[in-house]
Amino acid sequence: MSYLTLFLGLIGILSAFLFFYLLKFKASSKQTNRGNRIRWNSYIPYKEKKPNKVKNKESEDTSFKDN
Amino acid sequence: MSQHQALNKFGRSGNPIIRSAAFQNKVSSSEEKMSLEGAVNKTSFMLFLTVMTATISWNFQGPLMSIISAIGALAGFISGIMTFGFYFFFVGWIVKPRPHNAPRTAPIYAIGMGFIIGLISQQAESFYPGIVIQAVSLTFFVATSLLLAYKTGIIKPTQNFMLMIFAATMGIFLTYIASLIYSLFTGSHFLIITGNGNISILFSVVVVCIAALNLVLDFDIIEQSAEQGAPKYMEWFGAMALMATLIWLYIEILRLLMKLRSR
Repeated sequence: MSYLTLFLGLIGILSAFLFFYLLKFKASSKQTNRGNRIRWNSYIPYKEKKPNKVKNKESEDTSFKDN
Repeated sequence: MSQHQALNKFGRSGNPIIRSAAFQNKVSSSEEKMSLEGAVNKTSFMLFLTVMTATISWNFQGPLMSIISAIGALAGFISGIMTFGFYFFFVGWIVKPRPHNAPRTAPIYAIGMGFIIGLISQQAESFYPGIVIQAVSLTFFVATSLLLAYKTGIIKPTQNFMLMIFAATMGIFLTYIASLIYSLFTGSHFLIITGNGNISILFSVVVVCIAALNLVLDFDIIEQSAEQGAPKYMEWFGAMALMATLIWLYIEILRLLMKLRSR
């Protein structure tokens, strides 16, 4: 294995750890607080989950009938 | 006191932690929304799956593995279309993006692409020893540099930036399709793509740059979706988008290094 491969391998391992570490942090306000951001939700349609299950559970509680 | 009145007064359980309403509110507020941490975990999981299957196809070469890799590539392609959709010029969306499919399609994509990457990498390594380590390292180095530039606000993705990258990506895609059709009919390849001349290397450098800039858009999708409290499945969508670009970037860097080594 050449020194170049060894050196690049080391850089690669460090980069991979740094990549996953940095990914967890929020971007700076310089990035997030600007008016010309791409509005991704107009391109990628989020299918909102209907809160049916929660409502059903609540209605179960309230529709308990007296014997 | 009737049962109804008793339930109204005390709830189903006296313990406030397991009382249904309190429990459900907690679940809906913490589990339904996307988080950066979740997207990172899903990306790590997908990378793990890709590396695992790539290792299998690297170590067990043969006609059976070639068939499995071809099936894997096809499964990955179909998963990609089912999630990201398919857009064509002048026609519009032929298949619309369906991000809610991502929790099911993302692992299939990672596994399928792992098989084909293992096969490609093994063949590249047999011609040019050490090239795979170099390509993987450069991929992560480029991705980390761009992530740093994005997080600090040095690169700011705007509408024009997105259109430019999208047009360039489509251009590359169409060039590859044209090259494929040309090679099917004539038996030869476009030298601009497969050769090792200066123009071919310049073309590869441009493709690597476009693939790398696509990462910025992926980072922005993940960041913005988490910020806006998108549904949980968007974690899978973001992870899948990121993985798709990382895989593309890796293949292009590998191709560039092969061209440089073959000179």
